Amino acid sequence: MEQLLQHLVNGLVLGGTYALLGIGLTLIFGLMSVVNFAHGEFYTLGAYGTFGALALVGLPFFLALGAAIVLGALVGALCERTLLRPLRRESIDTVMLVMIGVWIAMQNTELLVWGGVARSIPHPFPTAPLTLGPLNIAPVRLFVVAAAAALIGASWLLIQRTRLGTAMRATFQDRDTAALMGVPIGRIHTITFAFGSALAAAAGALLGPVFLAYPSMGDLASLKAFSVVILGGLGNLAGATLGGLLLGVAEELGAGYVSSGYRDAVGFVAIILVLLFRPAGLFARAERVG
Amino acid sequence: MLTRALATFVVVLLALGVAPTTGDAQAPIKIGVIQPLSGPVAASGNYVRMGAEIARDWLNAHGGVNGRKIELVIEDNKSDPKEAASAAEKLIVRDKVPAIMGAWGSSMTLAAMPKLEEYGVPMVVETSSAASVTKRGNPWVFRISPPSEMEALGLEQYVDKLGVKKADFLAVNTDWGRGAIQAFGDMLKKRGVQVGVSEFMEQSATDMNAQLTKIKATGGDTLFLTTAVEQITLVLRQGQEQRLQRKVITTGGSSSPTQLIKQAGAAAEGSYHIVFFMPWFPEAMPDGKLAKAFVGEWNKRGHPFEGLTEGFRGHDGIATIAEAVKLAGKDEPKAIRDALWKVSFTGVNGPIKFDKDGPAGKESGQSKPSIFVVQVRDGKVALPDFLKK
Amino acid sequence: MIVRVLLAVAALALVTAPAWLVSPYHLHVLIMAGIFTILALSLNLLLGYTGQLSLGHAAFFGIGAYTSALLALKLDWSFWLALPSAAVTAGFAGWAIGRLALKLRGAYFVLVTISFAGVISLVSINWMELTNGPLGLPGVPPPELGPWTLRTKRAYYYLVLAGAALAYLVCHRLVHSRIGRALVALRENEPLAESVGIDATRYLVLAAVISAALAGIAGSLYAHYTRFVSPEVFLFSYTVTMVIMVIAGGQGTLVGPVIGAILFTALPEALREAVAWQWQMLAYGVVLIVLVFFLPRGIVPSVARWRRSRAF
Repeated sequence: MEQLLQHLVNGLVLGGTYALLGIGLTLIFGLMSVVNFAHGEFYTLGAYGTFGALALVGLPFFLALGAAIVLGALVGALCERTLLRPLRRESIDTVMLVMIGVWIAMQNTELLVWGGVARSIPHPFPTAPLTLGPLNIAPVRLFVVAAAAALIGASWLLIQRTRLGTAMRATFQDRDTAALMGVPIGRIHTITFAFGSALAAAAGALLGPVFLAYPSMGDLASLKAFSVVILGGLGNLAGATLGGLLLGVAEELGAGYVSSGYRDAVGFVAIILVLLFRPAGLFARAERVG
Repeated sequence: MLTRALATFVVVLLALGVAPTTGDAQAPIKIGVIQPLSGPVAASGNYVRMGAEIARDWLNAHGGVNGRKIELVIEDNKSDPKEAASAAEKLIVRDKVPAIMGAWGSSMTLAAMPKLEEYGVPMVVETSSAASVTKRGNPWVFRISPPSEMEALGLEQYVDKLGVKKADFLAVNTDWGRGAIQAFGDMLKKRGVQVGVSEFMEQSATDMNAQLTKIKATGGDTLFLTTAVEQITLVLRQGQEQRLQRKVITTGGSSSPTQLIKQAGAAAEGSYHIVFFMPWFPEAMPDGKLAKAFVGEWNKRGHPFEGLTEGFRGHDGIATIAEAVKLAGKDEPKAIRDALWKVSFTGVNGPIKFDKDGPAGKESGQSKPSIFVVQVRDGKVALPDFLKK
Repeated sequence: MIVRVLLAVAALALVTAPAWLVSPYHLHVLIMAGIFTILALSLNLLLGYTGQLSLGHAAFFGIGAYTSALLALKLDWSFWLALPSAAVTAGFAGWAIGRLALKLRGAYFVLVTISFAGVISLVSINWMELTNGPLGLPGVPPPELGPWTLRTKRAYYYLVLAGAALAYLVCHRLVHSRIGRALVALRENEPLAESVGIDATRYLVLAAVISAALAGIAGSLYAHYTRFVSPEVFLFSYTVTMVIMVIAGGQGTLVGPVIGAILFTALPEALREAVAWQWQMLAYGVVLIVLVFFLPRGIVPSVARWRRSRAF
């Protein structure tokens, strides 16, 4: 029983980070229809950005996190302007291929710049875990969950309650009408991509200190992000959040009770089942299957 | 419409075909090196490469081998067996190397091995630990790293002193991890130690809490850990978070205790590590002077100290090949292969001499490397407490 | 006219390759290119002709490789039995995925294929009794033809060349048949195609089966050439490479994947020669980005457009 509780807690913490990865990608993939294979690389960028800000510039921890997120947004914006905008008329496959190229280029640049040795990112939280009865949880992980929740909440507010958010949703629902209404389409595209990338960078910045920073850390992150997006439904922020939590818990329970070797299989099987029986995502109300 | 495309195709082929190949008199002796220089284990591959470069420079500073300089031709196997095989092919056919060192991981090494037989070129295996490498009946393979069975034997004498009564295993889900669980499990059972659970983690996994929760529930006193240093860091940290209080013994020699202390901090305290090189007290190595000089040169070049526990493999691999070339008198593959059987000298790890291993008539060579145990105490690497008594 | 001459020249060059190629290393590269040609053609059947992207194609490749290797190693089957068995097994997997997933379209189908490949990959790593897990299956025997063993590169090259030619023929016949036209109709406008009586699921599943079977053949050829099969055949990077070959070569054309396969097999090897190891992968990524930028429709369609524009 205690094991179960610990597994659940672990799963929720993990799931919170999956959610953060997911909502960034659901904007980019769900709204912009960009198959962004480089999403995980922004995650990596966030981690290395934090490391660099701490080690090279000497910023205090929370400022370093912020700097990494801003870096993610800037690189994302750059990417959109230089690579995606000229290709906007091309097919989704062409764009996907470009993002594969970006993925390879970014990862190997990280390898060149930082070397292959994993970097430990120091954080100001105490290492001794908090103990609540049979449960143990490290303070830094609590921070990650809290920060993720805050970012998710802020994103939701942005999308649902601000004019910018309305403009974004309008652009991706019906571009021509939005343009006729005076929405600056080009800028919205750039902002959306930058925002999604910033969220991925935030996930990396938060998780970097919990785990380690190394060049190939983004590969698995990309895959989990896509899974979460599908589970939650394309473009569905709340769905991505819940999907992320669900995936985290399912993985933890699978690893704990079935077999640790097949841990990732849990996620895959979950996806297959969801797609077979509820293809619009677990939480979608509207049907968007194509 | 195919015109342009065909032209491209032909141009590419020609480019590959007419690129100049070297081959002139008074040429340096070329030694091929295949390592994972990109991908998830890029750090380790690069450490081995750095060690190899030190060996090359030392040899050349002392006049080379048989009066000729040593040149390393370095290829990246990208942690992919297909690439390892391609790299071996390219080295043998295009660069005409008479000997190779590689290829770090066991599946990369196994994938390159058929090429050795196809072209008759020997390879010195410097890291791979899978038993099958020397049991396949490939007479062109010579290994200086220990297979997991040898490692387990090396620890056997300390099992009682360590006070291991019930052990659990946590290993990376590769041939290395599985092989270690097999070998150490067998050894422990022979000594009457109870074996609890064996858990696995994917090579890229970062969250091992599920496995640790299961291990915590078994009530064992020792955890055997086999994986790369990054995952060891994460396991130790997460073990600390879960208050997993037990002895930790890492196997495989890639645990880089220095890096662990830096990155896992207090979580690493008290852990034991099986290593094949002790750069913290090089004088204790079989050839103390050589070991000390190697550490000094490594530091002089500004390489990270934590890489020494793997970098020495590169040095010993190249030194072994060089020794064989010296004995053979020429840089011809078959002569080098025959000379490798006669090699007997001391590298950074210790004495290197090959015994026959594998099916009769087509044996591979396996050396008996030295195996050491160290412990993290008071935030520093020290000889284990049980040895001081 | 010029096209026919060039085609003949290319065919002649390929058939006589072992004679005029400078080194066995190049023959090795061509053999790998041939195997990837079959893979690219198979992926193109799905992507180019049905418009559905399968990002789990490495699964069919791997299933073919493991089936062939296991039958040859454990049951002592001849290569000539193992290869078709690999095709059948992979084809069956294609059928299963097709039936399950082809109610979905677009991104959802993609995700199912990725997940399927992920599960198969994990099974190959963990099911030690069957696949030997990460330790892999070394010592896969080369094919035997009567008294000869096809161990030499030259012999294997012709085997792979035959396989690639066969794959091309199969795709060509398929595409130019009623089935092919139905697939294209589905790709262009599915509701319209269905309204004239084309059963989408039936045709898509058929495409999936043939596509998977071809990939399985490629897998078998790979297994008996490299003579070592390990779970790395399921690496996502193999799928990515195939996708690059098809899209950059030109999806929806028959020659595009062939060109793409040859180019992108030769490119990493050429980079091995040209560039120091630190820069190889970065250069690869940059080349890819540049290529997509200048030839967004793929090489073959872009060349076709250029020629058409020149005609005026």
